[in-house]
Amino acid sequence: MILWILKINKSDNMNINTDIGIKLENPFMLASGILDENGYTMERILNNGASSAVTKSIGIDERKGFDPPVIYHDENYVINAIGLSNPGIGSFKDEIEIALRSGKPVIGSIFGKDAEEFSLLAKKMESYKVSAIELNLSCPHVNGYGLEVGSDPDLVSEIVSEVKSKVSIPVFSKLSPNTSDIIEEAKAADKSDALVLINTVKAMKIDIHARKPVLSNVYGGLSGRSIKPVGVRYVYEIKKELNKKIIGVGGIENIDDAIEYIMAGASAVQIGSVIYKYGINIFNKLNNDLNEFFIKNDINDIKDIIGVAIK
Amino acid sequence: MKYAYIIDNVQESENVNTIAFSSDDDIKPGQFIMAWVPGINEIPLSFSSINKIKKITVKIYGEASEHVAHLKRGDYLYYSGPYGKPFTIVPGKKLLIGAGTGIAPLIPIIDGNTYGIISGKSKKDIIFENHFKDRLKIVTDDGSCGMKGYVTTALKTVDLDKFDMLYVCGPEIMLKSVFDYIKNINVNAQFSLERSMKCGIGLCDSCSINGYQVCTDGPVFSVDQLKNMDEFGRTKLQYSGKRVYF
Repeated sequence: MILWILKINKSDNMNINTDIGIKLENPFMLASGILDENGYTMERILNNGASSAVTKSIGIDERKGFDPPVIYHDENYVINAIGLSNPGIGSFKDEIEIALRSGKPVIGSIFGKDAEEFSLLAKKMESYKVSAIELNLSCPHVNGYGLEVGSDPDLVSEIVSEVKSKVSIPVFSKLSPNTSDIIEEAKAADKSDALVLINTVKAMKIDIHARKPVLSNVYGGLSGRSIKPVGVRYVYEIKKELNKKIIGVGGIENIDDAIEYIMAGASAVQIGSVIYKYGINIFNKLNNDLNEFFIKNDINDIKDIIGVAIK
Repeated sequence: MKYAYIIDNVQESENVNTIAFSSDDDIKPGQFIMAWVPGINEIPLSFSSINKIKKITVKIYGEASEHVAHLKRGDYLYYSGPYGKPFTIVPGKKLLIGAGTGIAPLIPIIDGNTYGIISGKSKKDIIFENHFKDRLKIVTDDGSCGMKGYVTTALKTVDLDKFDMLYVCGPEIMLKSVFDYIKNINVNAQFSLERSMKCGIGLCDSCSINGYQVCTDGPVFSVDQLKNMDEFGRTKLQYSGKRVYF
């Protein structure tokens, strides 16, 4: 009984809020590209345990994206090639307004082909009252965007500098594991307030009975539990080499996965693909399980475990 | 991806066919699959029969549905699923209300105490009327079959108090007209919604309505759930995610 009271008291003093340039009430953010094209959906997820939502990547013009199949999945992974479908920045103000009714921060993800497009999009997003910008420098499946932009360090550096000079809110850069040297990529994005690691891993699925690639775009991006060890390694390596603020993403399905990312150096984590398994209730579960983990392991503050595994 | 060997194809009307295949999938009324036509597209399809021999009734509206509707005995249907939350089947007296091919996914609900309303633009849209014997009302816009008018014209001739559950399937505008007709009377109802669907597994946000995904939170929603959804029958998302008005 006494132990139980002590635990309750402890839980009152526990600190699971975190800082990524903006303050978050817990480390669990909704990842870009999953259930964040529509304001109502973001609002619902923010009201159900997510501390913030990163929007779907928004470009200058409306894009339909690729024809289905745009997603293939099994119990271990998801491969997607949605094709950057989005309503265009001009139509996205309403969605953000709806999401902001939750009272939680919304982070505007944007994609463009050059510094000028990124800057324009970032300014628009800022005027829509997002709390931060996430630069999609890493979508692996659309020609001329994402990864093609992100694998050119000079262009990355120019985009980050330009956007930083145009907005006063924090700027995050989401980087790709599909490059030969992610350290160089991270250094090029050094002016960003935080790095988001990692985007999906370029992949494909062939159906052996139809003898054809399943995705209409042939190639897609791999996410889900099968990429978690890759993500953890990038977070660890970049935290160790550059000591930047990092948001970890890739394959997180439970609290142990999240803690692993945090111990590798992530100050917050993003949750996405796993929603196909557990629905949006995953956010409330992660919060409960984080509290329980802290109590069991005598941890008072998330700061005490960020990057603790680095040697 | 699963695949099934087509054993039969029956033409129901000018542009509607029913394909049959054998599968061990446990399908509940109202659930759907994502049917993959390699090189063309992937589309959600629901079942008009859920026994060991499964049947899917397809209306041709594009390239992929045309391909599926014309699958012959010996061809393969590639698909994933089943997906979605099914209808809740209640004991007692049931009324099935389907617009055109919207009656097809309701057919597996039929038992000894089921009545039907089928609506359509004209006679050629009316299928499956023989499943109801005389417990059926038909209504067409042009009066070429059954009553002349809309689904609500037929509803006015029915004593809804006597039914334990209404099951409704069709285009969202038709669903909304049934919803508006019954929302203030004390009758239970479930509606099967259809919206632009891309992934089928609740990730892409394409088919969402007020934050709920039609593919995983639906496609079946109760009348009480819909009362809290102001997007129902008002706005929907295009493939790009752009919100448009019906």
